[in-house]
Amino acid sequence: MTSEKEFESMNSDSALVMSIGTGDKTAFRKLVERHKKTAYGMALGLVGNRDDAFDISQEAFLRVYRSARSFDQSQPFLPWFYTIIANLCRTWLRRRTARDHRTVDLDEASYLLVSADDPEEALVRKEQAARLRAALMQLSFADREIIVLQHFRNLSYDEIARTLGIPRGTVMSRLYYARKRLARLMGTN
Amino acid sequence: MEEKYRELLAGYVDGELTDPEKLDFERELSHSAELRAELHEFMQLKEVTNAMRYADIPDAVWESYWESLYRKTERGLGWILFSVGAILVIGFGLYHAFYELFTDPDAPLWLQIGLPMATLGAGILLVSYIRERLFARKRERYTEVEK
Repeated sequence: MTSEKEFESMNSDSALVMSIGTGDKTAFRKLVERHKKTAYGMALGLVGNRDDAFDISQEAFLRVYRSARSFDQSQPFLPWFYTIIANLCRTWLRRRTARDHRTVDLDEASYLLVSADDPEEALVRKEQAARLRAALMQLSFADREIIVLQHFRNLSYDEIARTLGIPRGTVMSRLYYARKRLARLMGTN
Repeated sequence: MEEKYRELLAGYVDGELTDPEKLDFERELSHSAELRAELHEFMQLKEVTNAMRYADIPDAVWESYWESLYRKTERGLGWILFSVGAILVIGFGLYHAFYELFTDPDAPLWLQIGLPMATLGAGILLVSYIRERLFARKRERYTEVEK
């Protein structure tokens, strides 16, 4: 689970990026080990495909590596990194839409797992997961990203605000409307 | 419903409200059926997402993550070196080929016409391809890191 700790490490992340800019591969490795799962999780929520999320997370690190010298050290690392990931995901989704004339492969192996002890409940949850997956991919990118950050990355509102570079009030407002649309798509209302 | 309560509703569901905001919201909640219905809907949604988690990838894949990424950084450098080297070698080769071709009085005419045409054609195709790629890149709204 992503937590306040990740934001506390911003300064050291920034220092690592500055070292990467000087060609320090040990710093690059440290940064990769620290954020690889976060990068993968964010990409997975946005594109809904495990293999592509993996590739996108690696491409995001490559971009960090190549553009480390242009990184503004006075800015925190995670919002910058998140922007790279989100931009890669947008590009990926647009290419996929243009290629496939659809936004989602409903037959893909599910990337959402359910936790339930009772087999009957597990069956219901699995069906919900399928509907949720389809509904998430029908949302706009902006709606999906805020839902992913809050529901699946478990970021606090302050963390979401810092990541997206928007005020806390906007986080609340965007979450309200994104949830309304998600609930409508899932048919819970 | 007031916009303010829509925002507070999201915060209430996630336990993100301050005490005064919570009081204000609960006061409104006590006499707004619409707000209560929306709260119920959001709580249901939250319950559904709380019961789910992302499928992780096997540990072995995570362990090889760095190696695979490191190879990609090396590959990038490799491609740059290869491209620059190839351009130099091909350019040098073409220069000599043309020099020999046009200074040799015994060179057949069909070769003197055919080779420059083929080279020019390949050059046009390459420039056209590069232009297409650059055009596509320009129209790519998200290639640059913004914000």
